[in-house]
Formats: sequence, C-alpha cells, structure tokens
Amino acid sequence: MAETGRLIAPAAPPIAPVTLVRVAIIVFVLLFWEAIARSGLLFRDVVPPLTVIGQALIALLAETDYYRHLGVTAGEIAIALGVGGVTGLAVGVLLGGSRLLARAFEPYLYYLGPTPKIIFFPIMIMWFGVGPGSKIAMGVISCFFPLALSAAAGMRQIDQVLIKVGRSFRAGTWAMVTKIYLPAMRAPVVNGVRLGLGVAIIGTLLAETKLSNRGVGFLIINAYSTFNMPRMYALLIVVFVLSIGANALIGRLGGVDQIKRA
Amino acid sequence: MTGRATRTFVPFALGFGTLVLFTLALEALIRAGLVNRFIVPLPSQIAGAFGRVIAEEDIPHRFLVTARESLWAALLLALFGIGFGVLLYRVRLLREATETWVAALASAPTVLMYPLFLVIFGRSETTIIMMGFVAGVPAVILKTIEGLAGTRRVLIDVGRSFKLSEVQLFWKILLPAALPTIFVGLRLGMIFALINIVGVEFLINFGGLGQLINDLAERYDLPGTYAAICFVILVSVVFFFLTDRIERWLRPVA
Amino acid sequence: MAVTRLADQVPRAQSAAPILVVDDIVKSFETPDGTVTAVDHISFDVAPGEFLAVIGPSGCGKSTLFNIIGGLIEGYRGRVAVAGETVRGPHASIGMVFQEESTFPWRTVVENVAFPLEIAGMAKAQRIERARHFIDLVGLTGFERRYPAELSGGMRQRVAIARTLASEPKILLMDEPFGALDEQTRLLLGDKVLAIQHQLKQTCLLITHNITEAVQLADRVLVMTYRPGKVKRMVAIELPRPRSSEIVSSDAFGRSVAQIWGDLREEASRGMRDDERHIAEHLS
Repeated sequence: MAETGRLIAPAAPPIAPVTLVRVAIIVFVLLFWEAIARSGLLFRDVVPPLTVIGQALIALLAETDYYRHLGVTAGEIAIALGVGGVTGLAVGVLLGGSRLLARAFEPYLYYLGPTPKIIFFPIMIMWFGVGPGSKIAMGVISCFFPLALSAAAGMRQIDQVLIKVGRSFRAGTWAMVTKIYLPAMRAPVVNGVRLGLGVAIIGTLLAETKLSNRGVGFLIINAYSTFNMPRMYALLIVVFVLSIGANALIGRLGGVDQIKRA
Repeated sequence: MTGRATRTFVPFALGFGTLVLFTLALEALIRAGLVNRFIVPLPSQIAGAFGRVIAEEDIPHRFLVTARESLWAALLLALFGIGFGVLLYRVRLLREATETWVAALASAPTVLMYPLFLVIFGRSETTIIMMGFVAGVPAVILKTIEGLAGTRRVLIDVGRSFKLSEVQLFWKILLPAALPTIFVGLRLGMIFALINIVGVEFLINFGGLGQLINDLAERYDLPGTYAAICFVILVSVVFFFLTDRIERWLRPVA
Repeated sequence: MAVTRLADQVPRAQSAAPILVVDDIVKSFETPDGTVTAVDHISFDVAPGEFLAVIGPSGCGKSTLFNIIGGLIEGYRGRVAVAGETVRGPHASIGMVFQEESTFPWRTVVENVAFPLEIAGMAKAQRIERARHFIDLVGLTGFERRYPAELSGGMRQRVAIARTLASEPKILLMDEPFGALDEQTRLLLGDKVLAIQHQLKQTCLLITHNITEAVQLADRVLVMTYRPGKVKRMVAIELPRPRSSEIVSSDAFGRSVAQIWGDLREEASRGMRDDERHIAEHLS
C-alpha cells in the first residue's frame, strides 16, 4: 500500500499550503465552537452544538413551508431588482451622457446613496401597504442608487477613441449603442447589478423582519421570538450561502472577459 | 473667472431648483387633493414639524447616543480592521487563504444577524455597536491590504537601499504610502457601520436617531416621521460630505 | 475568393487628379488663455497612390488637422474634398487609424477587423472571409480568435490598421499610429505599411512627429510650423521604391532627415520655450 502510494504521489499534485491553512482554520473554528457548546459555560443557548445546527438545517431544507417563504422573498427581490435596475440604468445613462445633468443631479444621488434605507420603511408601508409591495419598494430604493451611479460612471469611462472609431466608420445611433456603448459599459454595469442585488437582498429581508407574515426575513425573526436558536442559525446559513452564491455568479458572468481585458 | 462661476452655478441651480420645484408641486398637489395628505403630509407641515421634533423629542441627546455608538464602532473598526489587514498582509499564506472569505463577507447581508446579536448582547448599545462593526470591518481589512500591497515597488527598493529595518520600512514607507487607501477603507467601513447603526436602532427600537423614526411612526405622527427621516438623511449626508473632503485632502498629489 | 478593391475599379484616366484636396483650412479654439489658432491656412493635395506625411512639433495642430480631414471636427474655415466630394462628417472614402489604443477589447481580432463590414451590413460569412484577408495582409494570421489584451501593442495597432483597411478607404489616414511603440518595432511596422501600400497601391496620409518615420514611408513630407500651424515647407523624398527600413542607413536618407530637422528644429524649440513659459506662469 505504502509502495503504490509512493509511486503515484509524484504524479498527483501536492495539496497546496493555502488549502491546508483553510482547512485548518475551518476545523479550528468548528472545534472551538463545539467545545464552547459542550462545556455550556458560555452562552448556553446561543451556541448550540454543531449536530443540533446540522439537524435544524436538514429539517429546514425538508420543510415545504420554507420553500414557499423562500419563493416569496426571491420573487420580491427579483421584482425589486427589475424595477430598480431599469430605472437605475436609465437614470445612469442620462447622467453619464450629459455633463450638465450629471453636475446638477449626481451629487444628490452620490450623497443619498449611502444613507440607511431601512428608515424609509414606515413611509413605504403607508404607500404600499403591509404586504409584499412595501418589501419590493424597500428593495427598489436600495438597489436604485448603486445601479444608477455605476451606470453613469461606466458611461463616462468609455474610451473616447472607441467612440471616434465608431463615428469614423459612420456607425448609426443604434449601432453605436449596441456595438460600442453597451459592450464598453458591461463590466461596470454588471458590477452595479452585483452591488444592487446585495443591497436589494438586505433591504427586502430587513423589511420582512420588521413587519410581515411571509418570507425568509419573517422566518428569521420568528425563530428569534420563539427562541429557536438552531433554526435561526440554519436560516442565516441558508441566506448567506444563497446571497454569496448569487453575488459570485453575477461576478463570474461579468468577469468572463476580465482576464482578457487586463 | 465669470465663465467658471457660471459653469458651477448653472448645474447647481438646475439641481437645487428642481428639488424646490418638486417640493412646491407636491405641496400644490396635496392641497388640490390629488395626493392623499394622510399618506404624504404637506411639505410645509413637515418643515413645521422639524422644530417640534427637535424640541420635544430630545434630538440633541439622541444625536449624541448615535454619535457615541458610531464612535465606538469607528474605534473597533480602526483597531481590528487595520490590525487584521496588517496581519494578513504580513502573513502571506493567511492572506491567500482568507482574503476571498473576507471579500465574500463584505458582500454578505451580515445585518440580518441582528436577531442573533440581540440574543447575545440583549437590546443594548452593544448590539448596535457590534452590528456596525461587523458590517464595516471587511471593507477596512480589504482596503488596508490593498493599500499595503499596492505600495510602489520602487519606494520599497528606495527604503531597502537606505538599509531600513523591516520595522522602519513599515513605519516610514509602507504605512505612509498605504494611508490614503486605508482611510478610504475606514470611510467605507464607517458608512456601512453608520447605515447599520441607524438601521438596527430603527429595527430593534432602541437607542438614538433610528429609534426616533420608529417611535414617531408607531405614534402615527406623519409629519414628525417625515421630518425625522429628513433629519437623519441630513446628518448622514453631512457626515459623508465631510469624510469625502478629508479623503480627497489625504489623497497624494498624483 | 478574389478580393477586388474599389481602388482598382477607378479608371486610370482620373488618377492624374488629386484624390484628396485640403484647401485653406483655418481652425481656432477658445481656451481659458484666449483664442488659439491650431491650423492656419493649410492647403495641400494628395495624388492617388501617393504617401504624404505631415510632420510638426507637439502642439502644432497636427491632430486637429487629422480630425478635420477625418470629418470628426466641424466648425472650421476652408474645404476638404475626397475625389471631388466635399467632406462633411466621416466619409466612407477616408479610413482613420488612431494614435491611441483603439481596438475593441471585447472583440476578437477577426471581430475587430470585421467591424466596419458589420456596420455596412455585410453578411457574416462574407465579412469574416474579408476580415481574414486583411488580417493576413498585416501578418496576423493565426491570431484571429485572440483578444486584443492577449496581443502586444504593435500587434494591436496592426489589428487597427487591418480594421481600417477592411473598410477599403480611398485614403488611409493615420495619426501617429506607432507613437506608443518602441523604435525597433516602429521601423519594422513601417516596413509592413510600405509593403501593404505597395501591394494595394493605397493612398496614405500620415500624421507624425517622428522624422525617421516620415522619411522612411513618405513620398513627400509637409513640415508644419508651431502655433499657429502653417505649412512651412513641402519636402520631396527622393528615395527609390519599393523601400525597406534598411534605407535608414543610406546617405540619401540622412540628407532628407537633416533637411527636415533643419526646418523643424526652430519650430520645436519655439514650442518648448512656449511650454516652459506656460509652466512658469502657472507656477507663479
């Protein structure tokens, strides 16, 4: 056994030290967690054993009700991203295309962008009711700003000489937009969508935790009020995995030719 | 000179004028009954509520509470964010192993952990400060690494040629070169922290300015709610504006 | 498939008349420091198949002239005509090659070169075929599927030249096309341009500040003055064709370079003094 192992070893790539460090960190954190959970000294209910969290996660994923709530939230976020995306891009293109408009209105967007959006929630409830409408509205206000600002910046960073090339070949307006402006803006726009999705998720889910009877945000706050900590961990894990995954996916879509551009 | 003055004045007038016009139009629409005044109060009423809210709701104290929370979060961010950033920069293997994790954390909806923090720290300022810290720390770590790693090779070589020790190299070359980028990270971290601090105050109905909005909304004080929201927006905009100026001032002459 | 060129279809009888006429162009700009006349009463003709170089110090209005002839700048006095037709906006008979990096980073080499054909509405199979022909002409066969970022600066500039040639312009108008490249690459690419010009009998107009490049490539060199940009002198380059970069060592080459430098030196020093005065004023 040892002999064959040694024979094969040179052909197989050695485990990278980075991977080892990663595995070591994960193992250490998990063991540390388990030790605290078992000792029961600290935060007895806050730090449940890993097995309990695992069971809660499996139970959650086996629950049909959970998928219904997930569907509600996903739908809200999708609509929010659609509405916020279209308006954000339109405003961004307007600002990117006109110096005057940009100087007149962009400072407002720039400084309003990073303000806490959740405080608008009471107003959104008054305008759109306690149902999904107000959650979608929260998602829209959240993702509008990063999208508009990155589209405007994307339009301005287009290399002027590429526009000259298009003009010198007498490209029409449609050809200029589809063959030069849009492809040249792709990377910043995709990045804007990535940022927009991130904040739309936050806006929608936070609104759900504040006031709703549906959606994943509601499930989280429900787990809190019934003090079901394992379930809360399971929900947070799912939300984190899904949003980091979606983020990476969009990043990957935008980064296809990133290496080739560099 | 006059040319430059008109170049800055015209866009400002257009932007600000649109804002004023929009407010006046809203006032007119509500007075004409085209917009329900029980959903959108009159802008003049909101303006009137400003004074009342400031006088009756103890705004200075609430402002100080939020400012105190932000200050604590900023201290934690500077200490742990820059600290971890330097650590990851120095220990290459650790950086390679965890930098993508930190980046993923930066894009994760960490604020959704507030019920968890609520269980750990209770409905207290600690929960709010910790939420602010958690939201801001990835940005500070990433920007610290970026600043240190982005130091121009030739500057380090200059330091080496003067036979600086590793410690001297860090304090005399790396840190000053990275400082503008680190400040960008601190500012970014503080923005995320402030959003979360006010947001969590609102969500858990505790603390300073965020709680005020929740409070007024629960009392169905419409003009008051709108006024309080405007006030919070104003405070954050002033904060972003000031830190933006500092950041520009810190940026080295290219 | 044989690729026929529009230039070949032009009856020989017409070729005696100039193909490009630049007639008394004047262009001024308003700047914070007052009105600057970039181009001041410039006139010249280019005969079919001729290679004309315009040379001048930095800031003499060469690029303005390039943009005017290319139809990208309006609001000037005078007239530009191609084959008897006045230029108003970008003209199909004039193909521009820009100084800056101008390949589309999101398109492969073949997609870049096919761009003008795509704009003209040519069918896909046909335009790929044509694009391949011009890629071959600039010596980039085998790189069709590569992205610009995967190529060297010199290769990218050849892609830009092939792209412009693919639109089959009557005049190839180039603004410092090799400005960003090192001297050796520049000389070798000059050979490439000479070979292509010879093969296609392409009329060329080159804007440059590089004397060696101008003498290496051109039949005539127009020397411009520094601000306002006027015609200082037209120098005929009496070097035999076909040429290659080896002629840079010949006596005739050296004489032409010396002659042009004699004219240009004075203008360039004027430009330098002007710049220094400007910086001094801004610092005080």
